Amino acid sequence: MTKLSASEPIGNPGKPGPGETDSTRDPLTVVRRSLVRQVARDVLVRWGAQIGIVWVGLLVVLAVLAPVLANSHPLLMKSKDGELSSPWVKHLSTADCTLLVTAVAFVIIVLTRWRASTKVWLLLAVIVVTAITSSIFVKQRFTSPDTYRDRLKSGEIEWAARAPIPYSPDDRQLDDPTARLRSPAGRHWMGTTATGADLASNMIHACRIALSIGFISTGIAVVIGVVIGGMMGYFAGVVDLLGMRLVEIFSAIPTLLLLLCFVAVFTPNLYMMMAIIGLTSWEGYAVFTRAEFLSLRQRDFVQSAIASGVPLRSVLFRHMLPNGITPVLISASFGVASAILAESTLSFLGIGLGVDEASWGKLLADARSSGGTFYWWLAVFPGVAIFLTVFAYNLIGEALRDALDPKVLKN
Amino acid sequence: MNEPLLHIDKLNVAFSTSRGQVHPVRDVSMSVYPGQTLAVVGESGCGKSVTAMSVLRLIPQPPGKYLSGRIYFQGRDLLKLPEADMRKVRGKEIAMIFQEPMTSLNPVYTIGDQIAEAVILHQNLRGKAAYDVAEEALREVGIADPGRRLREYPHQLSGGMRQRVMIAMALSCKPKLLIADEPTTALDVTIQAQILELLRKLQRETGMAIMLITHDLGVVAENADTVAVMYAGRVVEHSTVHDLFDKPQHPYTEGLFRSVPKLGANVTRLETIAGTVPNPKNFPKGCKFHPRCPRMAGDPLCVDDDPALREVQLRYWAACHHIEGFAQAPITEPQLAYKRPETISEIPAEVLQ
Repeated sequence: MTKLSASEPIGNPGKPGPGETDSTRDPLTVVRRSLVRQVARDVLVRWGAQIGIVWVGLLVVLAVLAPVLANSHPLLMKSKDGELSSPWVKHLSTADCTLLVTAVAFVIIVLTRWRASTKVWLLLAVIVVTAITSSIFVKQRFTSPDTYRDRLKSGEIEWAARAPIPYSPDDRQLDDPTARLRSPAGRHWMGTTATGADLASNMIHACRIALSIGFISTGIAVVIGVVIGGMMGYFAGVVDLLGMRLVEIFSAIPTLLLLLCFVAVFTPNLYMMMAIIGLTSWEGYAVFTRAEFLSLRQRDFVQSAIASGVPLRSVLFRHMLPNGITPVLISASFGVASAILAESTLSFLGIGLGVDEASWGKLLADARSSGGTFYWWLAVFPGVAIFLTVFAYNLIGEALRDALDPKVLKN
Repeated sequence: MNEPLLHIDKLNVAFSTSRGQVHPVRDVSMSVYPGQTLAVVGESGCGKSVTAMSVLRLIPQPPGKYLSGRIYFQGRDLLKLPEADMRKVRGKEIAMIFQEPMTSLNPVYTIGDQIAEAVILHQNLRGKAAYDVAEEALREVGIADPGRRLREYPHQLSGGMRQRVMIAMALSCKPKLLIADEPTTALDVTIQAQILELLRKLQRETGMAIMLITHDLGVVAENADTVAVMYAGRVVEHSTVHDLFDKPQHPYTEGLFRSVPKLGANVTRLETIAGTVPNPKNFPKGCKFHPRCPRMAGDPLCVDDDPALREVQLRYWAACHHIEGFAQAPITEPQLAYKRPETISEIPAEVLQ
């Protein structure tokens, strides 16, 4: 018996899995390839996805390095009495600190050889811990950005290493009366805004809002949608009936209108916008998850998991969810794009974020002045940025859909 | 072998559908003793799988409902256990393997992850120790190079190997009872024989009981100690494998045997049982088998009265009005502790004749 069975497994590697084109090799060398890697590979070979990922990656780098790339405070300076200092460090905000620490931790964690789940949990822990500690300990100082220019001119600062764009987004250049609405030239690569702030600096800092509003509001929507949809699909019956009615009620609420109402009542705030966009766009994800779970719960491996005593939570989220998340992921990548558009729209209408928060939509709104003049640089740069970002997410979503769709023939 | 490990006592299961209630399991009683294999035989839709699923309470409620009956496992009624206690029974005390090895493993996790999950759940082991147990379980079911297979995904394995993995998973926690729901139906014949041989070997080594759900009489003949034949939601015949194969009493079982080709017999055409399997939504009145029964010959008793399972001989239960002395036979609990002999010489002479 043992001999028989020992001879059976070898030389019979089983049916080749999806996309496993090279399994004709000796089965002993068949590489371990998870579904995630397979999909990642399929996505990455598409040029559309490559462009999308490069653009989003660029935005991430800009968002993380914003305080180093565009800052009025010198990175390093030497005063007249020979003292070296880094004023930009003292002027970092809570968000700046969290982002920088997280980025460094991310690079370190990715380079280690730990299990994927360990990496994810560790990264989340780092984010939470830095966010809490920096919100307690980081006290942002205020120094007028003009002082550096004055002190450099007067020779009080002997020497300073400035950021590539030596203007903070809120630096209104009060020392220069001609700074407002300058077209792109010289030190201002993209011109200046109506308040005299540098446009390039604002564009870079606005990457954060574009990225975070897309990811966080879609994240909220996906979590709500998956939990509600999962329950509906798994329990079916009455739960499903009530859940579907809830979905119908929520899909009847127009997000933009609700946002307008909230903005009219409360002070506009980034977190509130994320929450509202998230709370009103989960229905699609719920419906997708429900449909997947309805068919998954009858599948043998789910029955088998229940039969081996796995608790319900684990059956739902460990065994069923990874097999049914595909349509949710695809539509989430389009959801990120539409969340960015929603924010830009509101900011353009002038009812979006607070005064000091840089946003592409707000910059775009500045392009048409009350005097009737059209300032092209204020329309083109933020407009192109919004367009490219939405386009990039759509490209990624489409590649993801093609990679995960069994109906599309591969190779 | 005095106390049954599992005793199903007059189980009734119903499903409510949009067109009324369906009653696929009716007054089913059977028992399994430690170290014994009970085969449950019947056509599709006869209720054998529902009975097996009921033991682990895997019937979704609603639409399913346990109308009445008890399922005793080691003296406890499983139908009355709270869900949390039931979870401790599932996988640890009673394990189950399913018909389709191709779809019974989760495609997104490695073999090792899936076996280790059960081990972590039931054996209080963590990390490496759990994976060591998983590797050992794979070795025990005869998988070559288990260390490497642990890190592979189900799609990299053949059907036979996946069924071995399922068995390894089921047995990794040393259950007392294994429910095998048509474990070999989806496999080709040579692999079938290997899997059944493996189950026998593991049973000898661990002393677990097996409840084998099948429709294949060949599988029954080779593996079972006792047999329960089910038809239309009822047990119609229950005895030891030797008695049943020697002389079946119920016309349905007779029909089943006639529709299997015999070695050496020169038959050009196989017999079938006339008619079709009754739909659980619309079972006939009286004896469920009477519309197809060759013995009935217009007997009004068969049309009106559904016969109960009676002990027609010593250690032989059947439910048919047309068995000699059926009306006088006692209605007793079908409890049958029997272990087939390991070798031919141990088989009593009268059975061999």
